[in-house]
Amino acid sequence: MSAVPRFGRVATGVAQKHLESFAQMTPGVMSAVLLSADGFEVASLQVGRGGAARLAAMGSSLSAIGSAIAKEAGIVECSRMIIESDSGTVVIMNIPDARPPLSLAIVAGDGGVLGQLLWAAKNCCIAIARAFRE
Amino acid sequence: MSEHEFKIVFTGPMGAGKTTAIAAISDEPPVSTDVVNTDRAAFDKPETTAGLDYGRIALDGGASVRLYGTPGQLRYRFLWDILGSNAAGVIVLIDAAQADALVQLDAFVDAFGGGRRAPIVVGIGRSGQSGALPLDAFAQRLESHGLTLPVFGVDVRRRDDVLLLVDTLLCLLELDDASRRTA
Repeated sequence: MSAVPRFGRVATGVAQKHLESFAQMTPGVMSAVLLSADGFEVASLQVGRGGAARLAAMGSSLSAIGSAIAKEAGIVECSRMIIESDSGTVVIMNIPDARPPLSLAIVAGDGGVLGQLLWAAKNCCIAIARAFRE
Repeated sequence: MSEHEFKIVFTGPMGAGKTTAIAAISDEPPVSTDVVNTDRAAFDKPETTAGLDYGRIALDGGASVRLYGTPGQLRYRFLWDILGSNAAGVIVLIDAAQADALVQLDAFVDAFGGGRRAPIVVGIGRSGQSGALPLDAFAQRLESHGLTLPVFGVDVRRRDDVLLLVDTLLCLLELDDASRRTA
């Protein structure tokens, strides 16, 4: 389920471009979904239509639960969550200061380096945040 | 799970009052995963649950009840299954003033096994409100599907109303337990 009209066509178009260049320049990225905190797909990359909606909903749940756990543990704010398996990685990263709140969910295969993925994802989130503030 | 610890799930559509109901009875401040609601067309409220609600109440005699709330939107269906797993019972909350209240009742009762997997109690909010469906409509709807489930009118902000739902569910669990022992 896409929520593009609610988030503005210009900002979501810019976010889509950022996702594309992020995937091109970062080894191992298989798919990515920009999602609202309440689980709507805002922009997506290399994911089937149903898959993007599901990843958006699941990503928002993980982000919300991560924030609740961080608060419970007294570390205030959850900025990202990393799920690792033998065959790949899923990263849920919050877009800083986005209004409404947004997160980026990334699925990567085992071909990349986690540090490189996180660094590139963080830069992508900063660029997307700028698009949604302007 | 301890023999004297029960897991109860609160479910129902967006805006039915699941987060409010758990907050009304939990002995400790509930865990909430509310986020900004961007879908004001679906329901006009500032926040919505994206993960789960969690609270806990202690009962007489050392028993306790863990209270879990689900998100209400269909896109979070995967969490209904996760949270419903191993639940001793389910409380379905429905807002009688919502246009599709009966369809919502069918959907949530069906998603949680129609009372066959675990007992279900139904709480109907705003049934006295102008334009809302009366309480009987919900009981009749269930009967039309061959289901006899307890249905109560509730104000989820009132602790006693929510405790009535929990107490009824615990009574059903005791009855199930007793009938298994005598079988």
